[in-house]
Amino acid sequence: MKSKIIIIISLSLLLAVVLFMAWDMFYNNPDDNVNPYAYDLKSLRSGDTTKILYEETGHFSPELSAIHGVDVDKSDRICICGDNGVEIFNPAGDRESGFPISGTAGSICVDEGGRIYLGMQDHVEIYDKTGKKLMQWTSCGKDAIITSIKVSGKDVYLADAGNKVVYHFDQRGNLLKKIGEKDPERRIPGFIVPSPYFDLGIGRKGELWVVNPGRHQFEKYDGAGDLISSWGESSMSMEGFCGCCNPSNFAMLSDGSFVTAEKGIERLKVYSPAGVFRCVVAGPDSFIEGTRGIDVAVDSKDRILVLDPEKKEVRIFTMKKPGN
Amino acid sequence: MEVPENNSRINRRKFLSTGVRASVLLGIGGAAALVADKATTGETVWQLDPAKCIQCGRCATNCVLTPSAVKCVHVYAMCGYCDLCGGYFKPETKTLTTGAENQLCPTNAVKRKFIEDPFFEYSIDEPLCIGCGKCVKGCGAFGNGSLQLQVRHNICVNCNQCAIARNCPSEAFSRVPLSQPYLLKQVTQEKPV
Amino acid sequence: MKKILVLFILTIILTIQFLDAYSVQRFPKPEFESGYVQPETMQPSAHAGLLAVVDVIVLAIALALVTWLVLKKRSRIGVFGMSVLSLGYFGFYRHGCVCSIGAIQNMALAVFDNAYVIPLTVIAFFILPLVFTLFFGRTFCAGVCPFGAIQDLVSFKPQKLGVRLNTVLGLIPYIYLGLAVLYAATGTDFIICRYDPFVGIFRFDATFGMFIFTGTLLLSGIFIARPYCRFLCPYGVLLNWVSRYSWKHLTITPSTCIQCRLCEDSCPYDAIDMPVTDKNPESRSGRIRKMILICALIPMLMLLGGYTGSRMHETLAGVNGKVRLAKALLEPPSSTGKPELMEVTAFKSSGKPVAMVYSEASGILRQFYLGGWILGCFLGLVFGITIAYRMVTTYRTDYTPNKGTCFSCTRCVDFCPVDHHDNV
Repeated sequence: MKSKIIIIISLSLLLAVVLFMAWDMFYNNPDDNVNPYAYDLKSLRSGDTTKILYEETGHFSPELSAIHGVDVDKSDRICICGDNGVEIFNPAGDRESGFPISGTAGSICVDEGGRIYLGMQDHVEIYDKTGKKLMQWTSCGKDAIITSIKVSGKDVYLADAGNKVVYHFDQRGNLLKKIGEKDPERRIPGFIVPSPYFDLGIGRKGELWVVNPGRHQFEKYDGAGDLISSWGESSMSMEGFCGCCNPSNFAMLSDGSFVTAEKGIERLKVYSPAGVFRCVVAGPDSFIEGTRGIDVAVDSKDRILVLDPEKKEVRIFTMKKPGN
Repeated sequence: MEVPENNSRINRRKFLSTGVRASVLLGIGGAAALVADKATTGETVWQLDPAKCIQCGRCATNCVLTPSAVKCVHVYAMCGYCDLCGGYFKPETKTLTTGAENQLCPTNAVKRKFIEDPFFEYSIDEPLCIGCGKCVKGCGAFGNGSLQLQVRHNICVNCNQCAIARNCPSEAFSRVPLSQPYLLKQVTQEKPV
Repeated sequence: MKKILVLFILTIILTIQFLDAYSVQRFPKPEFESGYVQPETMQPSAHAGLLAVVDVIVLAIALALVTWLVLKKRSRIGVFGMSVLSLGYFGFYRHGCVCSIGAIQNMALAVFDNAYVIPLTVIAFFILPLVFTLFFGRTFCAGVCPFGAIQDLVSFKPQKLGVRLNTVLGLIPYIYLGLAVLYAATGTDFIICRYDPFVGIFRFDATFGMFIFTGTLLLSGIFIARPYCRFLCPYGVLLNWVSRYSWKHLTITPSTCIQCRLCEDSCPYDAIDMPVTDKNPESRSGRIRKMILICALIPMLMLLGGYTGSRMHETLAGVNGKVRLAKALLEPPSSTGKPELMEVTAFKSSGKPVAMVYSEASGILRQFYLGGWILGCFLGLVFGITIAYRMVTTYRTDYTPNKGTCFSCTRCVDFCPVDHHDNV
């Protein structure tokens, strides 16, 4: 009798094991869908929408297979460079003209005279707007990656991410000087460029602004190449810049404010001329996750032209009307 | 029953048994030959492809070992040596100090060392690392992606069926030859001139 | 020719573009001025390389030794000692991987999946015990398998279960084997490894759930000797088949059985066949009737099993990850309040087309439909044969170990009063 009970108990234990296996295999939905170690990038990406003071008022798609740079000429025509070509649009976004080039143009600048400067990996090529090649400068070296060009009067500035330096050229392509090389005596910290995003711009008074992306700083240089001031804060919050090299691009509004574009957490923000955070132009929601190399330009009406390389669009943002 | 008949019966049974045995042996041999065709003399080990990894955290929870045999591996050659490292600091961090409250890693297994202004070296204290991939996600989102998850073969017991592989949502795990046991994303190619 | 040329040029252009894209990835690392040397990324190699060969050698030696101890020395202590040694080596030292039981799945996967490369050592682990069993009985179970050893250690008070229970429970391993092969062949999972109860013990590292699972099994193992081996082990099914035709099998008596009945209760596994004498032999017509019944029964059971198996193919395929993903993708996201499955998130970020998953999943479903038929037919056949065995009386005069279910543990040998020297 006793042994019978023992057998029954043991058998039920054995059956429990078998039934558990069957249940676990066919009916158990594992509840490990929640990651206990989740790094929630979504909350970082969502942010405070009340700080968005701009809205997208239009967009257009260039025909180029890949687009890299945007700039406006003095009559607000929008010039786009990319793989094997340049396209020009009127301020409303209608295509006016375009011409092919051989190679990839990573950056673009249109000067007062309407000449188009293109940064072609390691050298500069200059075209007129009909596509006639006016000049080709010599290479800046085999490591050179020209990520930005700005023309100011007779001066041409190039940002070279590969060599981590800014070049000052004259309009004929003669190198006048290098700016921003590490120099403890002149208190120049040197550019830290961990990945190929390195932008510069010209302020209202002709001063040179360069992003030091590894330090998340804007640095201001005078005509002699001396560092005058800098601003910027490393932070993952809205007010600062974070990641490996941010801001990746910027442009300047007519009042001397900065429009900055970031990767990692894709967002566009506006800072005052003194570097105080003002508002958001577009948050991460407006971009495909992982978008890198958003270029920005500002036209004479302070419209912000955003080149979105993932969506392959140029998107136009304008300040929201106060009433809205 | 008569004796001779019984004997012949036994003989017949013996003969049958030998025949069956021979055919079973043939069967086993056949099965072996069938698969031996694609067999390898080398062993295989489990590894995950960082390119497919989505840092779901199951490497930390599903390995038969505690802590997991999957660790964060730092490919120094890809690192930007940033001060504000997305794989090291919590997103809300205000001060960039090594205080435990600032660190993203749940076990403080990422070590930060000052090299020279403004560079910092980050390394992984592997015995502390649980393979959760939090830093990997941070590095991938903000940095160059130099932090990657890999199965550490000096720890892995090489289960016949990897328990993580079974549950990996992105099918990043596969059997790889023992001679090439790592699938790190590396920067190897020089820039074309 | 023109086509080839065009292709060639296209390839070159594409390569150049690829290199160009790559150049963005490749970027000069920081220039350190303090003389900092970048550390190498450590890539420690696996320690398994040589040991895998050693494992096979140890397996072969252990098999030979145990066989010698069983058949020649007839020594229970020797066999027990070997089983403890094997438990130490294959279990605790080698952490129970790879084992012969699990190797079934590797074999099945290797047969059905052309992309899978099976290591030779795994083949050896599958083949060696089978070959030894074919010649000498299940000596592998007696003293080499660490699973058997660990269960033997806890079977303090083995109880007799009776023929009926043994027969019914003995069908479970066939189901387990069938499912294991089905899931391995479809590349779904290795369920034998998934529900391996002892590996957690070998590694001192079981999850709580697995700990309860193992504990329950071992608890039942106190009174039901070797519950895994007898009523679960899929490899045991193969060994059982092969052992029936073994060339030399362990015998209880070293010479002639004297019908003393001393060994009758000695086997903890109910693996001793009692003598069945022909006191009331069956009539010829009765036997023929039975044969006809069996011949009709088996195909019917097979058909029934196959049909049931094919009807269940969606449930069976539900274990497959691809099928689960396809199901989750078909489900509208708003229908459940739960967060999106990680598999779905991962799939979305991979950028593959949804149609691909659907077509793959429907392919797997087809495999499971066919597999369900085969599995069902197989189980029907097994059930039929089991019933047939129960119906047909086999006559024997002596106490003999059942060659199929006997683990050759040699416990019964010590109960036999017949001395080896009597055999002149």
